[in-house]
Amino acid sequence: MMENKYLIAKSCSQAIEMSKSNPDFSYISGGTDLMINKYQKNNISKTLIDLSEITEMKNLQIKEDKVIIACAVSLSELEKNKKINSLFPSLNKAIKSIASPLIRNSATIGGNLLCDNRCMYYNQSEWWREAVGNCLKCEGDICIASGGKRNCFAKMVSDLAAVLISLNALVSVVNNDGEKIIPLEDIYSGDGIYPHSLSAESILKEVVIPKRDSKVFFKKLRERKTLEFTSLTCAISVRDNNIRIVLGGVDPKPVVLDFDKDVTIEEIIVKSSKKCRIVKNDLYSRKYRKKMIGVFIKQGLKKIL
Amino acid sequence: MTQIELWVNGNKHQLLVDEHDTLSFILRNKIQLTGTKVACEQGSCGACTVHVNGLAVQSCITPVLKCVGKRISTIENVADKGTPHPLQQKFVEKGAIQCGYCTPGMIMSTLDFLKGNPKPTRREIEEGLSGNLCRCTGYKKIVDAIKEYADEKLSNSSDKFKMIGEGRPYIEALKKAKGEADYTDDILEKNTLHCKFLRSPFAHAEIKSINFKEALKVEGVVDVVTGKDIPNKFGVLPISEDETALAVHKVRYIGEIVVAVVAESEKIAEKALSKIEVKYAPYKQYLDMMDSIEDVKENEQIHSHSRFNNNIHKKAELRFGDQKKGFETSHYQVEREFDFEGINHGFTEPHAAIAKWDENGLTIKTATQVPHYLHRSLAKVLEIPMNRIRVIKPYLGGGFGGKSDPFPHEIIISYLAIKLGRTIRVRLNREEVFLTNHGRHPTKMAVKMGLDKHNKISVLDADIIIDGGAYGSFGVVTSYYNGVLLQAPYELSNFGFRTRRVYTNKPQSGAMRGHGAVNSRFAVETILDELAHKANIDPCQLRLHNLISENSITLGQYRITSNGSKQCLETVMKQSDWKKKYGNLEKGKGLGVAGGFFISGSALPIHWNEYPQSVVHLKVDMDGRVLITSGASDIGQGSDTMLAIIVAEVLGLSIDNIFVVAADTLLTPIDLGSYSSRVTFMAGNAAKMAAENLKQRILEAVSKAHNTDKSEINIAKERVFSNDKTLDISWKEAIVFLTNKLGAISTSGYYNSPKLGGDFKGAGAGLSPSYSFGSVVAEVDVDTDTGEVKLLNIWGAHDAGKAINPLAVEGQLEGSWHMGLGQVMSEQMKYYNGMLLNANFLDYKIPTSVDTPSIHTNIIESIDPEGPFGAKECGEGAIHPVLPAIANAIYDALGIRITSLPIKAEDVLRKLKELNDGE
Repeated sequence: MMENKYLIAKSCSQAIEMSKSNPDFSYISGGTDLMINKYQKNNISKTLIDLSEITEMKNLQIKEDKVIIACAVSLSELEKNKKINSLFPSLNKAIKSIASPLIRNSATIGGNLLCDNRCMYYNQSEWWREAVGNCLKCEGDICIASGGKRNCFAKMVSDLAAVLISLNALVSVVNNDGEKIIPLEDIYSGDGIYPHSLSAESILKEVVIPKRDSKVFFKKLRERKTLEFTSLTCAISVRDNNIRIVLGGVDPKPVVLDFDKDVTIEEIIVKSSKKCRIVKNDLYSRKYRKKMIGVFIKQGLKKIL
Repeated sequence: MTQIELWVNGNKHQLLVDEHDTLSFILRNKIQLTGTKVACEQGSCGACTVHVNGLAVQSCITPVLKCVGKRISTIENVADKGTPHPLQQKFVEKGAIQCGYCTPGMIMSTLDFLKGNPKPTRREIEEGLSGNLCRCTGYKKIVDAIKEYADEKLSNSSDKFKMIGEGRPYIEALKKAKGEADYTDDILEKNTLHCKFLRSPFAHAEIKSINFKEALKVEGVVDVVTGKDIPNKFGVLPISEDETALAVHKVRYIGEIVVAVVAESEKIAEKALSKIEVKYAPYKQYLDMMDSIEDVKENEQIHSHSRFNNNIHKKAELRFGDQKKGFETSHYQVEREFDFEGINHGFTEPHAAIAKWDENGLTIKTATQVPHYLHRSLAKVLEIPMNRIRVIKPYLGGGFGGKSDPFPHEIIISYLAIKLGRTIRVRLNREEVFLTNHGRHPTKMAVKMGLDKHNKISVLDADIIIDGGAYGSFGVVTSYYNGVLLQAPYELSNFGFRTRRVYTNKPQSGAMRGHGAVNSRFAVETILDELAHKANIDPCQLRLHNLISENSITLGQYRITSNGSKQCLETVMKQSDWKKKYGNLEKGKGLGVAGGFFISGSALPIHWNEYPQSVVHLKVDMDGRVLITSGASDIGQGSDTMLAIIVAEVLGLSIDNIFVVAADTLLTPIDLGSYSSRVTFMAGNAAKMAAENLKQRILEAVSKAHNTDKSEINIAKERVFSNDKTLDISWKEAIVFLTNKLGAISTSGYYNSPKLGGDFKGAGAGLSPSYSFGSVVAEVDVDTDTGEVKLLNIWGAHDAGKAINPLAVEGQLEGSWHMGLGQVMSEQMKYYNGMLLNANFLDYKIPTSVDTPSIHTNIIESIDPEGPFGAKECGEGAIHPVLPAIANAIYDALGIRITSLPIKAEDVLRKLKELNDGE
């Protein structure tokens, strides 16, 4: 039987090398989601490659036209950074809404952006999933949440993804082919089972947020004011004639919509709601979450327009 | 496996670990630092918080290999060479510690967030603690403690001889704050085996075959047990013993134990479980309580002993007066249907037990509220005499009714300990705790009430169905309590109810704080509110107008003695500024009120016999220390401290001269345990009697030695003196006179409930020597766009007779209100096809510090004539009024009635729309 391994990488290239010689691997940064997935045996990787000690992944640079946040920066470190808070108030609101202060001490930017998609029929113990008859996301035949559909609609729950995409953030991805910078939204595949369109060895190294004078809004739906994953995240930014709305928690990927300012709120709401593929995969009803998309967008636009 | 060096609390440890082990596992199991608790295993509760390089992290989700080369600091490292940290001291002093299981995590989190914000506001403290769950305190006293620590507020030094009525930390509070209190799973035992369970994936099925041959082959597996090995039935109520330790022939819910594996380690046992094959043949499953009242076909009954051809477990029905006439003479009537989801106790310490067999017989240490009932059940199921069984309750991390039944895991490991002659330990994970359940029954009811032309309640009728799940538990009592506990705090002249408890294929329901009457109280108080609107009378006035008086008899012949209900209601009205605010707040904001009452101990024992309900022994020896022994279970409610205070009061001692040994069926006299809010009243009275008996012995001895008349001698402040002070000796000198030639002296006290109640069938249900009363006013702010309800304030008052320890009483009240608001706002046991969907602390939503409103606590003292120093219960009754008060506040805010719990934002919006559409 193959032994478990825990490898600590000192550089991105070393991490990628490690991944090559240990094909049954997962990257781990803060581990706040991964360790729970391991506990529930949703993740059974034999090798964990720890990225949190890579120096180049812990920088935070505030430049003239942009801010570069390396992906192993913890959420609480970012939360406490006053400059970033004043530059990106919706980002700060989003961070404060993630999990709990304790989890934010460990959790990292990259980990949040790459958090696995969630569904209440999937994020369960191994015993539970077997008893219910494994769903698509754990190698079963049908989607339980949607009552038999052949696609997985596990929801994308990264609040940072929603807010950073609303701020037109880019990410630098390091992989076998070198390093490239792409729009953040491009890393999300829209598939609930494999939600990220990155090759296995890819490392999300940095997030680049352009400094722009935008009006912003952030709101998150959940029953308690802490701990919980999102049932709907709504991040809006308005700049010049553009309204950008990004919705999380209501689709396997962040739902991104751009509108001109002359589009009516009603139209924005109809188009936004239509684009979300919500299934009953958390404790709110599908109908309610859908309705709240409209309410949140309306509240947001009223506040900032 | 890999060898590592770990720096913990300044010490270097060489350890062999699995590469994916968590830090909490290593701290607890390899370094024996058990002050770090594990309650959820999934980073959702904060109990396991430690510092890594000075930063607070949850050790249950931190890989140990992440911590190599870093400085790890645990709760054991917070005190300075035995001197508690001032924050620990504040937690103790302010009553921030009840069961204490969350305390180490709370303290570690606090020490971290205070570094960044040393002078936080209350709001900021609540934010800082929002990853740490507490189920006991309602967070209020925790925030108080942190605030006072941060503000460097000095402690008030109190008179160490002031006892009754003086707020006092629990005697064991410091131990809990330092992480030194051993809960069951913290106890080290040598050469132990570990037990793990295979649970049913079917809700209702025949077990066709079990093949565990491959499991037995796994190296390190010692034995495998199935239902046929332990077939004797048990149940907490002798009248409904319907459960076996492991499923026999069939399974009745998803999660029922089918096979137990015992092995040299938990990991080995777990591995072996995956090699067991069980074949099932499914039966029709009953998941909806409404299906269970219908007739069923052959082989579809969940239990063959159900009396009729259906799945009804118990029918309870009582009628008093003339309901028909009551309805005819009523001026206003309201009838409504209500629907309640089941909820779970959510105690932070998961079930755990350790059993051992030696020349003294069986010893089991277990997290139980009632050692005595477990004692009896073990004797019955395992067919060994009671004198060969010892049940010990270590420190216990919360119960709320959820640890009051005998449990399968306790029986299985006891069986194995006897069979194998080894020490066996077991701990359930959080998912298993939820599956074990015994929480509040899911309930449906139709309630109808009338008001006569004088605004008096003319009639009340309730038709109730409660979903018992797969087994009986306390269900027969729950069935009665749903009805009978409606006959106060208001005077009724015509009243009747019918409750049907049904079996379904779900984890069983049982007793939970406020047992039996929480949901029906919600219904009655909601309807009263509606009747007040119909009659155009203020809801508080209507309640005041109908309150039952002290020294009266209810319709069902309950004897009401002390009764502070009026004072409770008037207190919360005044404090909430009710008259000014009610009905006058802007749309979306509202105030609501409700009342309640509860038993102060069940007058009837579960096992019919003449043995007292409580017995307390005292022993004093020449060193002057008084040892209290009592079978009462301190489950975090402070009963050990209560006993100490009562004895100290009678004997004029400080707590330094008192030592309590409790809840050990070998060492302590039998007590019926911590359920039905009985301990202060019954064990308190027994302690008082034992102390008075000891006092008499001391007075006699001193009187004889000093030739002073007994009636002239007083005991106070550790001195024994005559009125004229010609005699004035120390306590210890007096004890020397007492023990001369005799040696250590023991005295005893006991409590027997007086004969109470009527002589009709069912008259015994809800009888109590005394009743508590309470009121709550709640204030809400509802977002009419989202339907989200925000709680702003809870003003609560509870008549506890006399607060023996006001700090502890406040803690019980705040915890009750907090638990009640959890049931209203967010908690529910949610199922998918018989599978519990939210068996974890992320999805089972106990309100956190930031979800908890300002709580304003009032203790009302009516001085009960029979309670010890006038005291009665305070641990359960307070929960009743808080739920309907919140719902009634929503009515005041928006004009909509909440009739199902928990409140869903979606329902609020739907009802608002119906209201606006004029439906």
